[in-house]
Amino acid sequence: MNQYLEFFRTQRQRIDGNSHPVLNAHREAAAAAFERLGFPSQKVERYKYTDVATAFAPNYGISLSGTTDSLRKTESPDNPLALSHYGTLADVDADAITALNTMLVQEVSIIHIPAGIHRENPIQVTHTLHSTAPLMQNRRLLIVAEAGAHVQVLLNERADEGQDFLTTQVTEVFVGEGAHVEIYDIESTHERCHRFHQLFADVAAGGRFTHATFTLSGGLTRNQTDVRLSGEGAEVNLLGCAITDGQQHVDNNTLIDHRAPGCRSRELYKYVVDQQSTGAFAGRVLVRQEAQRTDSEERNANLVCTDEARMWTQPMLEIYADDVKCSHGSTVGQLNDDALFYLRQRGISEAEARTLLKQAFASEVINEIPLEALRQRLHAMVEKRFRSCEDCRLCKKG
Amino acid sequence: MLEIKNLHATVGGKEILKGVDLVVKSGEIHALMGQNGAGKSTLSNVLVGHPAYTVTEGTVTFNGKDLLAMTPDERSHEGLFLSFQQPVEIPGVSMVNFMRAALNAKRKYQGLEPLDASAFLKLMREKRKIVELDNKLTSRSVNEGFSGGEKKRNEIFQMALLEPTLSILDETDSGLDVDALRIVAEGFNKLRTPQTAAIVITHYQRLLDYLKPDVVHVLIDGRIVKTGGPELALEIEQRGFDWIKEEA
Ligand SMILES: Nc1ncnc2c1ncn2[C@@H]1O[C@H](COP(=O)(O)OP(=O)(O)OP(=O)(O)O)[C@@H](O)[C@H]1O
Ligand SMILES: [Mg+2]
Repeated sequence: MNQYLEFFRTQRQRIDGNSHPVLNAHREAAAAAFERLGFPSQKVERYKYTDVATAFAPNYGISLSGTTDSLRKTESPDNPLALSHYGTLADVDADAITALNTMLVQEVSIIHIPAGIHRENPIQVTHTLHSTAPLMQNRRLLIVAEAGAHVQVLLNERADEGQDFLTTQVTEVFVGEGAHVEIYDIESTHERCHRFHQLFADVAAGGRFTHATFTLSGGLTRNQTDVRLSGEGAEVNLLGCAITDGQQHVDNNTLIDHRAPGCRSRELYKYVVDQQSTGAFAGRVLVRQEAQRTDSEERNANLVCTDEARMWTQPMLEIYADDVKCSHGSTVGQLNDDALFYLRQRGISEAEARTLLKQAFASEVINEIPLEALRQRLHAMVEKRFRSCEDCRLCKKG
Repeated sequence: MLEIKNLHATVGGKEILKGVDLVVKSGEIHALMGQNGAGKSTLSNVLVGHPAYTVTEGTVTFNGKDLLAMTPDERSHEGLFLSFQQPVEIPGVSMVNFMRAALNAKRKYQGLEPLDASAFLKLMREKRKIVELDNKLTSRSVNEGFSGGEKKRNEIFQMALLEPTLSILDETDSGLDVDALRIVAEGFNKLRTPQTAAIVITHYQRLLDYLKPDVVHVLIDGRIVKTGGPELALEIEQRGFDWIKEEA
């Protein structure tokens, strides 16, 4: 922890020099919060499944000259309206990683859709981690959809092979009245990547927010997704699919906060946990007293493929209103033996049958996506992930 | 084609098959009848290599090869097909992907090139006609949300695609309405050749009216206790099984 504070104190001028004043204005408070909070131990409820301190312990280089080119394309630093939202959802006092990111981040990508505008094509942001030495990257994304605006955002994360990477990303999403925002986040990195993503969204009356995260490959992944339904009739749909093997670890931690009446939330996370990998899902749905007529469904389903693989699942429903319709549930199981046998009777080998059934399991999440082209791409990526041996990093390692 | 000798098998530690002997030759249709729980489905499952069933004694040869030494997929490739009594639903696996994977696995086993997508779809269309299977069903996940009768029709459609030499039909007639039964039975008859054979498990004469079995067997308590011609099935329809039990 000290290395990050020390870096901040000693490099402050250079950090500020390459950044927008709005970002700089938030640093001091963030540093104070980070110093006070420290990295969360596994005794902290929301971090109990992931060892943060160990992930942040190594010495990573931090680039001070800004980040990737692809970010610049969507960047519009002199957007005072959008920037006035910066840091208003991501509370540095509540979370050390958010504080650390806010303390060090040098660039913010802004997606701002003015009132009533419907973006026809999805906005694509691809992050490719390149480096010849271990690298830490701190990223920030700010999405502001004004009333009635529609936007779809596709995030891709990749990384150069054979290098250690650590990323933090804080995303703030403002879904205005009647606005629709969809974010599809695909991680295809490798076992030497550690990623900590925090997403905070606020959905105004009649707004709709969809967030889907696909962890196709990676090392250590922690995605925290906090959504506030703050206006009447707001909706959220959270989706997640994680495919893990080797020593991989994926932790999705979500909070859906029903603050207004007549809101709807849906949540579906599925994991296929293989070899010695570990998965964790904790999803808290909070229905406040004023959130009457809440309609909420949360489901987490998991396939655990070996005796060494581990899955922790913790759906939590906390209800303070009386007129609500809520359900939540989780399952942990293996492939259906009858289905497996049916396929084999028809001549499909055991390995192929298993692949087909795993793909089928994951496809439920993919099929929730309204974008046909993206659905096809994800089906293909998932198939490749389960099937390909030539590309398989485990085989490559020997 | 198939020779079963003194076959004993257990499931869940309980002996169900207690010495089955059966010989099936090319071109023949054998009906297998018997009361609920007699072991008919157990015999089918043992033949196709279901891992829940353990063979404790006996041998099975299929076209001269040791059937029991093969994996379920090898048995399929060698020409064995089971139309399941209760076909399982597999959400998320499309009929098209399933059948293409199955057919191409068999072609690979036979040293043939895989069929490309368009050739496969064409073949699928042809085979669908044989059992008049609705296009809508083949565009869905395997058996998902199919009615009981649609599942059975789908089994024979799969049989039509895979062209097995020995088919076991485990109560394919149950769940089919009168018209569907005729269509499926006639479809099955179209697939027959002098090189194929079938074991047809049924409780009713109606299916046998269409399929015209050469031999009828009665399985009681894990053994074939009586074998006869088509008239045996008619007699069972009239008199039930008690008289056979008494004889045995
Ligand atoms: N997987 C299993 N586990 C435990 N018992 C089983 C299993 N499969 C079959 N059995 C038992 O074996 C016996 C024979 O069952 P089987 O399904 O072979 O009968 P069947 O002759 O096909 O009957 P039906 O006409 O009702 O289909 C029954 O008592 C059944 O309960
Ligand atoms: Mg049966």
